[in-house]
Amino acid sequence: MLFLQYLTAGVVTGCFLILATIGFSLTRQVEGFLNIAHAELLGIGAFATWWLNASQGWHILIAGPAAVVFTALIGLGIARTIYDPIRSRGPAVLLITSTGVAFVIGGVIDALVGTGIRTLDIGLATSYKPFGIRITDYQILVVALAAAVSVSLALFLNRTRIGLAIRARAVNPELAASRGVDVATTSRVTWLLSSGLAGLAGVMLAVIATLTTDLPFAQILQILAVAILAGLGSLYTVIASGLIIGIAMDVSVYWIPAGYRPLVAFSIVIIVLLFRSEGLAGRRAA
Amino acid sequence: MESTPTKRGTKMKPTTPRWLRLVAAMLALAVIAAACGNDDDGDGPAAPAEQAAPEATAAAPEATDGATAPEPTEAPDASEGGEPVDEPADRGEVTIGVLVPLTGELGEFGKIVADAIEFGVGEINVAGGTVCGDIRTVVADTGGDPETGIREATNMIESEGAIAILGPTSGIMVALVDLAKREEVVIMSPYAGTITLNELGGDFVYRTVSSDLGDGAASGLWLSTRGYGSVAFMVQNEESTISPAEVARTEVEEAGIDITDFVVYNPGQPSYQAELTSVLASDPDAIFLAGGQESGVTLIKEAVAGGFDGEWLFTADLAVPEIFDAVGAELINDKAFVEFADADPSLPEFISFEERYPGAGAPFAPNSFDMVTLVALSLEASGQCDGAGINSVIRGVSDGGTPVSTFAEGRDALASGDDINYEGASGPLVFDPSGTVSGAYTIQQAQNGEWVNVEFYPASTFVE
Repeated sequence: MLFLQYLTAGVVTGCFLILATIGFSLTRQVEGFLNIAHAELLGIGAFATWWLNASQGWHILIAGPAAVVFTALIGLGIARTIYDPIRSRGPAVLLITSTGVAFVIGGVIDALVGTGIRTLDIGLATSYKPFGIRITDYQILVVALAAAVSVSLALFLNRTRIGLAIRARAVNPELAASRGVDVATTSRVTWLLSSGLAGLAGVMLAVIATLTTDLPFAQILQILAVAILAGLGSLYTVIASGLIIGIAMDVSVYWIPAGYRPLVAFSIVIIVLLFRSEGLAGRRAA
Repeated sequence: MESTPTKRGTKMKPTTPRWLRLVAAMLALAVIAAACGNDDDGDGPAAPAEQAAPEATAAAPEATDGATAPEPTEAPDASEGGEPVDEPADRGEVTIGVLVPLTGELGEFGKIVADAIEFGVGEINVAGGTVCGDIRTVVADTGGDPETGIREATNMIESEGAIAILGPTSGIMVALVDLAKREEVVIMSPYAGTITLNELGGDFVYRTVSSDLGDGAASGLWLSTRGYGSVAFMVQNEESTISPAEVARTEVEEAGIDITDFVVYNPGQPSYQAELTSVLASDPDAIFLAGGQESGVTLIKEAVAGGFDGEWLFTADLAVPEIFDAVGAELINDKAFVEFADADPSLPEFISFEERYPGAGAPFAPNSFDMVTLVALSLEASGQCDGAGINSVIRGVSDGGTPVSTFAEGRDALASGDDINYEGASGPLVFDPSGTVSGAYTIQQAQNGEWVNVEFYPASTFVE
């Protein structure tokens, strides 16, 4: 039973990692670079939620969606003003620039939010014990949102015209452009989606965690681990990677000290890359 | 690196609409202004000092006039390291760096320390200043980052001429040890309990608080005498929390109490459910939580939501009123206790300090006041206006001789040719070979949404 409890915790951790990483991977596939500032977009979502909920008195069900929209718009604004003008310089310059953007966003959040800890004005989680396994309503919400986001994104990318255009651009941008795919529109939609997803992860971070200005960026290593493990494949591998790393980290606590959780995550990444250098997805696919 | 994106951001493709370029430029300027504003809060060495230290300037309007600085009261005693007085450049002031975390998780503690130091500086300057002139402070924010701490400390020493740096936290104190010894600048902390300083401290490196091992002993004593049958330990994965937790564990084990779990966890996680799984399954009578505010609040909430109904003992990071809002006072009232190094409230020196300074009750405020008073008295005793002078006599001014509790008393006693024994607001300040004082500890209980003293362990409790 204790093992199943660790497994449950791992599934929840994995679902949070899916929420935090899926937008990062979308950017990576479509825009072609690792957007390190993605973790700070989580921070924008989290602190926007905190400000609206705890300071302005908005209900979390209103504050959360508003924070998602706000983060999506900020992400689009950053992309249009900072990344677009230097897109031709290549992924290395974009990656380094995104690191700088992360520092700027972090500094602005520091200046606006200040010191100390921040929590939402929401109730304590309620625990349930189905089949003797303890799980809280907030944990169930994380799992449900991860599932809903995964299904919705899959439907969007496979069933809508703009989604198909995004996939086409991810596979071969030059060919997609030559076949009439509107590069500018797909880019904007991608940024809105990925930033909005970061905002959603930020909302859940605010719901389940205690916020400090350092906390969002602290998630970047695990986001990178999931994204690297997933490789440049379809978003389904991101879901698999998130669950693998989340479950491995939390179940490992059953046998080894909890302080080694990050070691477990990156050990898995290293082992997989040794045998499958392009990650779980193998060769690039849409 | 920070300037790269904004510089690039202003160079846009021709296809970008003009209005968007304008908006982008304004956004970039706003971002730069905000970032610079943040830096001014702490990273800049000179400007923030003037902003953060108005009291010192106001208290000593004549500080820059060399004529108002007191003459050396008497030739220093050779036995106290006396050498010819170094004439400062303008003969009007001596600079002390205040290197604290004003942002980040420990920002609230940093402000307490900076404010108490400024209060001490104000008292010293109002009393006429030191033999080296009035004290001027330069304040910088470390954000809790050792790299920033080293950079700011170097600026303070090389650009501002600081002869002592007060207020670094544990990690930054350790990072500054080599710099302090190389530049012969005294560094002193009111809250750096790290046991690493037990080995590295003692020469140019001091602290007016006891080692973390003392916190562990006090925590262990509390847990052992509370009547628990079982205790679980949740310990943040840092040396400053693991070391005292190990000491407490030994004490609890020796008391015959069952330790159900000793979980060392990493901070910065959204959730700690995996770490709590075994602890909640064991259902101990109490949980000893040695962690920071971010991890601590999440752990407390998740444990209570998971059905834990026992008592808690927290370490000093959680000894702040904000915990009640963050956790929910109803969850911890009457069940939670917190342990931290504290001044002895029965000491006349503390009572006097409390009467003079409204913030005296804040954690580490007396220890911070003591730091700057010790430095000023050391300048008086040595007659040397540099770190080497302070280092040569600092042990002497706080051990043996005529008891004094303020700068003015100490200066007058030194002028009369007496040896002095500075009795601090935080308690006796006798430095051991590692530059550490022995400490007293308070246990507070959560009652009706505030921390209330329930036990006090004087320093003598832990003397073997």
